[in-house]
Amino acid sequence: MGLDARRLPGGGTSARRDGGILGAGGPTFLTTKLDFVVNWARRSSLWPMPFGTACCAIEMMAAAASNFDLARFGMERMSFSPRQADVLICAGRVPYKLAPVLRRIWDQMPQPKWCISMGACASSGGVFDVYSMVQGIDTIVPVDVYIPGCPPRPEGLIYGLMMIQEKIREETLAEHRVLRAEDPLRAGVPEADADEVAGLTGPFGNSTRQNRVSDVARTDLADRPGDRKP
Amino acid sequence: MDDPPKPPAGSALDTVEEGPRTGHALPVRLAATTLRHPTVDGLRARFGASVQHHAISAGDQHVVYVEAGRNREVLRWLKQDPAQHYDLLADVTAVDFGGDRPLEVVYQLWSVPHRRALRVKCELPLAALAIDSVEPLWRTADWLEREVYDLFGIEFRGHPDLRRIMMPENYAEGHPLRKDFPLRGRFTRAEQTRRALSQDPVDQYIPTELATGREPRIPGDVPLGESEVVEPSPEPEG
Repeated sequence: MGLDARRLPGGGTSARRDGGILGAGGPTFLTTKLDFVVNWARRSSLWPMPFGTACCAIEMMAAAASNFDLARFGMERMSFSPRQADVLICAGRVPYKLAPVLRRIWDQMPQPKWCISMGACASSGGVFDVYSMVQGIDTIVPVDVYIPGCPPRPEGLIYGLMMIQEKIREETLAEHRVLRAEDPLRAGVPEADADEVAGLTGPFGNSTRQNRVSDVARTDLADRPGDRKP
Repeated sequence: MDDPPKPPAGSALDTVEEGPRTGHALPVRLAATTLRHPTVDGLRARFGASVQHHAISAGDQHVVYVEAGRNREVLRWLKQDPAQHYDLLADVTAVDFGGDRPLEVVYQLWSVPHRRALRVKCELPLAALAIDSVEPLWRTADWLEREVYDLFGIEFRGHPDLRRIMMPENYAEGHPLRKDFPLRGRFTRAEQTRRALSQDPVDQYIPTELATGREPRIPGDVPLGESEVVEPSPEPEG
């Protein structure tokens, strides 16, 4: 009958020839694991929250359009409200002015939730190693999957979302408390602490005279009158 | 199908077809093709020594350096004199050349009727980075001057709402487009992240912007919600 005996153990047979779950006198009930059903439901209807700020968002739109058709994998509905979203797709560079907005959107999403950092800028700041740009959104929110590329092709985004699906497949409700632990006091604060951010980023200062391995430059020189000192 | 009714003679449609105000039939004579710019001659005649010098940049762009203290006077004349009529302020920006050289404030003007461009520059010494605002002349200068203030730290006297426009309100590292500003900022990344997250996005707006949604703030206008307060009608007794 084509049923996978391992996944669908047991089951009675219908007296009627056309009854049963699959017809033709198949089983009238199935037994399975709760983890399997819950994870199947979760991974098959992931609703992405698109947070597109740059050219990666163009590829994200292409991935949702008919040629690549993200809906085939359960991402049927782009959720433009964080309250009804499961996956935050951060596509594009995030300046520091936008950081509290991104953090607030993440805090507004209900559990269970996942996060994709799409493209080089969202993952590491990319080429924008400057005063205004967040050097990787993982300092702001926790990230599950990083998608490299500048920008990644739609296949890349689909592959990343399917990696999220694989991640969900491996989850178990026994770890629910650990996986979904949420501290209200952590809302609106950086995901990475100061030491971690300092370790992730290069030394600050004037990078025209300084590379990542040189010492920290003096930054207290404000030789212009009227320039506000930190 | 009936023919559409013809507009009666002398209607507004006729007038528009008869005489475009900008005179498209005239041959385009770019003023910059000559070494003499008619406006520069007029400026010299009227303002004398306040017009410091005149240069031609990139082949056809006339640049006039004007004394910074008289910028609003000069620009008002350029806008309102019928022979000049620079009615479009295309851009306000600034240049920092580094070192001890003064900062330049740049006004890029365009005259729609005369089809002439002019760039007016004012040099500001580093010790006194302040200049009169031209917001009363061109309303577009409002945001452009806020941008220059935000990124260069030049104060515009008489600006109605001089606050940062690009960087966050609580940004305390200075003015990033100055040459002495380190490329990665003055603070560590951890401190930048902490400060960025400690701000409330709502603080970026003034109460009027929040109260009126997308309505622009017009000086002299009563903000929405103040003029249209509906008094609750008193409950009839009994």
